[in-house]
Amino acid sequence: MNARLKASWAKLLIFLSVMGPGIITANVDNDAGGITTYSVAGAHFGYALIWSFIPIIIALIIIQEMSSRMAVVTGKGLADLIREEFGVRVTFYAMVVLILSNLFNTISEFAGIAASAELFGISKYILVPLCALAVWWLIVKGTYKSVEKIFLVACVFYVSYILSGFISKPDWGEIARSSMHPVFKMDKAYLLMLIGVIGTTIAPWMQFYQQSSVVEKGIKLKDYKYSRLDVIVGAFVVNIVAIFIVIVCAHTLFANGIRVETAKDAALALKPLAGHYCFYLFAFGLLNASVFSACILPLSTAYSVCEGMGWEVGVNRSFREAPQFYGLYTAIIVIGAALILLPGVKLVPIMLISQATNGLLLPFVLIFMLLLVNNKRLMGSYTNSRFYNIVTIIIIAGMIGLSIALLFTAFIH
Amino acid sequence: MTDQQIAKKIGKDRSGMFIYLSQLLDTIVLDKNREFVGRVYDVVVRPSEVYPQASLLMIRKGFPDRQYAVIEWANIFEIDDKETWLTIGKDKIIFSQIHNNKEELTLRRDILDQQVVDTFNHKVIRINDIHLLFVDHLLMVAHVDISLRGIIRRLGYEKITDFFVSLVNKNAAYLKKEHLISWKYIQPLSINPASMTIKVNVPQQQFSRIPAADLAEIFQDLDVRQQLSFFKSLDLSTKARIFTHIDFKVQKSLMDDLGNKEIAEVLNHIPSDEATDFLEKLSKDRTVHILGLMETKYSKKLSQLLGYSSDSAGGLMTAEYIAFKKDDTIEAVLQQIKERTFKTEPAQFVYIVDEDHKLVGCTNFRRLILANPRDNVQKAAFPKIYSVRLDSSVKEVAYLMEKYKYYTIPVVDANNVLQGIITVDDILSQVISIAWRRLKRIEVKPS
Repeated sequence: MNARLKASWAKLLIFLSVMGPGIITANVDNDAGGITTYSVAGAHFGYALIWSFIPIIIALIIIQEMSSRMAVVTGKGLADLIREEFGVRVTFYAMVVLILSNLFNTISEFAGIAASAELFGISKYILVPLCALAVWWLIVKGTYKSVEKIFLVACVFYVSYILSGFISKPDWGEIARSSMHPVFKMDKAYLLMLIGVIGTTIAPWMQFYQQSSVVEKGIKLKDYKYSRLDVIVGAFVVNIVAIFIVIVCAHTLFANGIRVETAKDAALALKPLAGHYCFYLFAFGLLNASVFSACILPLSTAYSVCEGMGWEVGVNRSFREAPQFYGLYTAIIVIGAALILLPGVKLVPIMLISQATNGLLLPFVLIFMLLLVNNKRLMGSYTNSRFYNIVTIIIIAGMIGLSIALLFTAFIH
Repeated sequence: MTDQQIAKKIGKDRSGMFIYLSQLLDTIVLDKNREFVGRVYDVVVRPSEVYPQASLLMIRKGFPDRQYAVIEWANIFEIDDKETWLTIGKDKIIFSQIHNNKEELTLRRDILDQQVVDTFNHKVIRINDIHLLFVDHLLMVAHVDISLRGIIRRLGYEKITDFFVSLVNKNAAYLKKEHLISWKYIQPLSINPASMTIKVNVPQQQFSRIPAADLAEIFQDLDVRQQLSFFKSLDLSTKARIFTHIDFKVQKSLMDDLGNKEIAEVLNHIPSDEATDFLEKLSKDRTVHILGLMETKYSKKLSQLLGYSSDSAGGLMTAEYIAFKKDDTIEAVLQQIKERTFKTEPAQFVYIVDEDHKLVGCTNFRRLILANPRDNVQKAAFPKIYSVRLDSSVKEVAYLMEKYKYYTIPVVDANNVLQGIITVDDILSQVISIAWRRLKRIEVKPS
């Protein structure tokens, strides 16, 4: 008994040392944009969309697992591998689109910060520059280890959504029933929302970021199973948080027929219905998610671009050693924060461009991944099995279909 | 056909002219009747020389069912950035689906877009283009290009970008400065799939000229697989220089992949303070195991420094012992004892271990000689075996040795894995020194 306890303790310790990349990547998924989508989904359709989180979890695990596996087996980032296997031309254009897509995502994160500033009654002209500076400072002055720890702490703060879910006291029986019974309404608004919910889940930057951070962490092949567990835990945690956001909004806003368009609206509408605590938790969750994602997105962009172009890379280097890395990182943060503070900036077109560039890039990234992960020269005996490939192709086809659909609907709107 | 003969056949003499690999790739290849054969895919070079010479041209055709063919350089009549003209007919070229040439260094697969070590600037760089030089009819790898302009050239925007840059500033560094690095400083990092090593093609002294800290930094920039393969390919002193300067995380990762034995070999060449720094961070069992694999004299010094010193079995023991697998026959065992040479003379005890090197028995020369040679070695074993742990005290060891009349006693770790032996002379010197100290105290006290 004692020996077994010791063995499981040792296993837990290994997991704790390996965990991070999967959980962090998945959590960034619940960024300002994600929270907005889930709030609106809950407010407009109640519990009717909760079932869709089950296929989302599966898709997220399958795709991120491949990233993680490639990282451990090859020891290289995704951008590295794309450059080495598909050449500079493909890499260059992919990176241009990635920069655009991540830049617009970052802008929407700063929009989230601005929105939560207003919720807390702070001027956004104070909070946004402050957050931008803090985010910049963290990466430029931090080391990989310290940065990862802070990120993991940020992941814990997502609990605020789960708490706000409990505070609003929903009907658990009904939630269980509706998550088990997929409702498929042939209603245009419903389908759009469904596409939106699934579409925000898998973004191109995630594969780049996760693979790079697993590489940076130096996880060994023998510990790979723990890395896989990290991905699985991340996928579950992020979707549970998303489900709670839907629950809060469904139970309060949907039940009272209140329609919202943004996460800020949702938080404000919650105040009279669910009380002050729920409001503050919701608003705090938005701030945390926005700041956290505003850290990761520029970082991920800088990593990927420098890897692909062959420039010095890494959190552990100084500004002088890796000028392109820090330059790109700084530029994205500065542009992101400055644009939001400009008076009269419209958020909707920014969101549209971010969705469009995501949708444009995602099919390519997923296809590259599939080709790379099946390359025997790179992966040896760790290529996908036939069954895994079939599942992946179905998921990829589904994701591509959805992101194209999202692209179209975004512009039709 | 000799080189001169081919040279005579060449229409234009391009000697001394340069061409970029990117200008060559995907240009058309024509056979002797000027019929289309395929497109240039890759160039195989002979890595043996300082400036490797192109030896084979790989071409491909078809999409998506790509087919590849290999053409000897001697069969090329003319090659430039427009087309390649062969001296052989289309019918002589055999296409197949496989193009992975296992041993050779190929420019597209192994160099272009890949990371290499620049031993001149002490950096890991990614190659944007390769600068090739015509010498007679041959092509040689002269430089690699790591500039932004190299990327732009490959994207096909070189002329436009040049134009705009020259509009702004005619003497811009972008236009004037060529970011070319001579091939002699370049160490490729392509891993040979058969031996899992990286062929070191720059002279080893080039590495010895790089300050150890820089070398370690270069090393840490490689990916895990490259680190392992590169490390294996280096000479011992370079290995030692790198090992002392890399982070513990990388050290540990190397040790896990290479095994204790190779690390012990490297540690033999590392200053004792650096070696103890590393060993201190390992688990006790592992430290003792590695010490056991090292040169006896040096490991004794290290174990003293590590504080195992005289007060525990781990510090006293030596790794020079005779052990055999329990399934060996006595005949084989005796034969091996005769053939082996020992640095020091081990006492006549022979230990028997299982597959995991766990101690299962003990015998001596006398018993082995008297036993039936065809028997299993375990037949000659003593009925019972006593051993001490790594952390057993000198007193315990001395007491057990005296009790069972052992000349040597085996030392095992917590899992009963044999780590080393303690000989009677080692324990005697300890006991004598303890006795002397006591004696002195007794002498001092009355006065």
